Amino acid sequence: MAPATDWEEIKRLAADFQKAQLSSTAQRLSERNCVEIVTKLIELKLIDVIFTINGKEYLTSQQLIKEIKDELYVHGGRINVVDLAKELIVDLNQINNHVAEIIKGKEVQLVAGNLITPYYLEKIAREINEKLYLQGQITIGELTLQYDLPAELLQSSVMEKYLGKIIFGKQDPSEPRTFYTEEYITRTKAKIRGALMGLLKPTPVTVIVNHCNLSDRLFLSLFDQINATGVLTGRQVGALYVPSCYTKSQNDWVLNFYKQNNYLEFDALTRLGISDPKGYIKRLFSTEDMTFLSSCVIGSQIKQQLETALDECIASKSYLDVVSLLPSVLSDMDIENILDALLKNNSKSTVLFENTVFSTHFLDSLKQLCMPMTQKNAEAVVKSGAYQQFYLEKQLSKSADSGQSGHVDHKAERREERRRKAASGKGGGGTQGRETKTKTVKKHPRSKQVVNDADSDDGSNVVRKPDQLEVVSLEDVENIIKGALESEGLDDLLVQVAEYLQGGLNLTALTIAKETADKLLQDASLNRKQTHSSAQDKINILVNDIKLYEKGIKSFPSDQQVQFIKYLLKTLGSDIICEFCKYAANQCNLSVQVETLSVEQKNKIINDLTEEYKKPLTALNATISDQNMELFYQAIDTCLSDFGMILKKADKKKDKLLIQNHREKLISELEACEDPALSLHLAVLAIFTIATQSMLHCSGRQVPTVISFLKSLLKQEDFERLQLCHELVGKYLKASDEEKPDLEDVLKTEMPILKNMVQEIKKYK
Amino acid sequence: MVDEGTRKTLSSIPLLQTKAGPRDKELWVNRLKEEYQALIKYVQNNKEADNDWFRLESDKTGTRWFGKCWYIHNLLKYEFDLEFDIPITYPTTAPEIALPSLDGKTAKMYRGGKICLTDHFKPLWARNVPKFGIAHAMALGLGPWLAVEIPEMIQKGVVTYKEKTEEQ
Repeated sequence: MAPATDWEEIKRLAADFQKAQLSSTAQRLSERNCVEIVTKLIELKLIDVIFTINGKEYLTSQQLIKEIKDELYVHGGRINVVDLAKELIVDLNQINNHVAEIIKGKEVQLVAGNLITPYYLEKIAREINEKLYLQGQITIGELTLQYDLPAELLQSSVMEKYLGKIIFGKQDPSEPRTFYTEEYITRTKAKIRGALMGLLKPTPVTVIVNHCNLSDRLFLSLFDQINATGVLTGRQVGALYVPSCYTKSQNDWVLNFYKQNNYLEFDALTRLGISDPKGYIKRLFSTEDMTFLSSCVIGSQIKQQLETALDECIASKSYLDVVSLLPSVLSDMDIENILDALLKNNSKSTVLFENTVFSTHFLDSLKQLCMPMTQKNAEAVVKSGAYQQFYLEKQLSKSADSGQSGHVDHKAERREERRRKAASGKGGGGTQGRETKTKTVKKHPRSKQVVNDADSDDGSNVVRKPDQLEVVSLEDVENIIKGALESEGLDDLLVQVAEYLQGGLNLTALTIAKETADKLLQDASLNRKQTHSSAQDKINILVNDIKLYEKGIKSFPSDQQVQFIKYLLKTLGSDIICEFCKYAANQCNLSVQVETLSVEQKNKIINDLTEEYKKPLTALNATISDQNMELFYQAIDTCLSDFGMILKKADKKKDKLLIQNHREKLISELEACEDPALSLHLAVLAIFTIATQSMLHCSGRQVPTVISFLKSLLKQEDFERLQLCHELVGKYLKASDEEKPDLEDVLKTEMPILKNMVQEIKKYK
Repeated sequence: MVDEGTRKTLSSIPLLQTKAGPRDKELWVNRLKEEYQALIKYVQNNKEADNDWFRLESDKTGTRWFGKCWYIHNLLKYEFDLEFDIPITYPTTAPEIALPSLDGKTAKMYRGGKICLTDHFKPLWARNVPKFGIAHAMALGLGPWLAVEIPEMIQKGVVTYKEKTEEQ
């Protein structure tokens, strides 16, 4: 049977074989063909499929949507669209198209390229809640970083949505982006409270915040709820926390310090940490009367102290060192300011040197010490002529400045003189300058100077050197007051005080000097006036004489006149010049001691004279050697007018009288004369005067000429006698010593005869 | 040697174990079973690879086999009858597959339409007795022969396309 079953099996296998052969073959298509077919189908819009990027697969839209949803689920409810594209190997555009469809369902949302499902958000919320419990506080910012989601979404769809449901915490009312737990707030508050309690000095909020590891905002918002015993200077991060204990101790210190010292130094306050010391002080001591200075504030007490001290100082006629009364912190400027205010009231009775107030009485006493020296110096300076020298130089420079030329200067000079007189008259009133106060003395010369300025001829504002003659030197003053100041311990102010005093003393000295000088000047001008008139008289007489003599000369033949004129000019002419010179020298303050001047002296004086005198005098001097009377007269005229003199008119009667006087004088001289030559000379002159009724001036050499002239006018015997005498005298003058006694005897007999003859001639004439 | 495709095809055909001929009675049955199983597997493989190229059936004893084979060239299907007997020395001797309709049309053929197999076939078969069976003979012998000879014959015009033969 076995084979039978085997054959059955064969049959069955054969049938199977047939079946296998007849079953349809799987229609295998090549990829290429498939792609073509699908393309064709899509072209014909028979199917709607999507390619994968690698081109190996086709997807329908429904399949894609399904796959997207699946991926979303696999990824826990959130997937990036780009990741999706990579994951599904589908073009991003296609994904985007279909994502739009998915979003339509309103459950899933697309946020920043991410597909997000509600259950994902819920999951996040749980996570956040855990984190919140862990950290105590959480900000949206942190979450944004952690979850890479937009803050708005987190804020609205996660935090606020699940707050109280999944997330158990509190939203910061001032900062909605911050959430914290109740415990955290309490903890933080405790931390801040602790920190603030521990602080003793002002601390920047940033320091506190950093120390407590908080956010500024949280600190500021919680600060109000803590009721801390201190103040925040501001609501900004840069603000300071000032503990009340600090403020209190600060105030205490300031109050105590002020109470003790009655002043406050700004620097000290700044060191205490008070940024606006002035404002602070004003606030703290709103009722106090305080004086604000550059570096500190002082109270009224100090001021009062100072005032009383000042009053005392004035009353006791002493001085006051302000520094000893004021706090040491005051700068020199501050002290000055305070003193300025205080001294305003009694500035007249005090003078300030650096920081020491001197009462004027004290200074006056010092000044009195110097007065004798001043007086002495002033007088010395006048006596030595230094004062006049200085004054003249000043005048000169002034006149030079005003551009006046030399020839009108004598007018100015005279005006100056007048003014000087006037000034001295004014000054004469205040002769007791010693007692006058410095102020008044100071005013006096200044006002005078103003007058001088106004008076100056052209009125132009010429800058004059404010040169004051230093009569009293600084050293003098220093030496005198040194002792007084040293005994008071004020020697450090010596120079200043001396300077102060020196100015006044110098002026006083100048006044004294002026008075003295004026007195001298008055005397001098009186003298000068006298010299003027006497010179004028002298010159008048001389001129008159010359004129009379000239008349006498005229009786000679003209060829003989020249000799006479020459002699006349040489003698009387130079006398006139001498007079002029003396006068001019006097005017120019040149000293002329001798009565008669030699030619050299004369020339020297003329050269030394000022221009106004020099010019006419030189002209006059030149005419003397000219032997021309007319020129001489003219020169004299100009000289006189320049010198301010006048020539009196010739008076005939007076002339006659003069001639008579001259004759009498000649005769009396003759009577008294013993010398034969001189006697002959005088006799000749007298006879000439008697004979011609005119005067003659001649030298001994011209006697023979005169004798020969007299021949026609005398009796024969008289003439012969005259001739004889002349010969005898000539012999006598030429004779040797042996012959002289003989001749002398002869002359002795002849002379009385000659004198008698003159008398006789006078009688019969 | 055989080409790569043939080798692959060959390896997917199950090998036989029973060494028996038609005269071995009971053992032949076993052999025949294995032959059928191998053939079924081969056909299935072909179908799966979209490479079905013959129809084969046998008589009751399984000694005589006949059927059709076809070859597609230029989108035209050329179909030929096929027959062969199991030799008495089978499986030591390979069956001689014949395509009677092509008798005399090609040089690579013996009288009666028996195809001339390549030089490689006989030693390969000899080396694999009793593992090779009918399925192997088809895959290793007729398949490659058709692939080489038919296009040549079509080119020569010896074989022409017959419109709508009795297929299906």
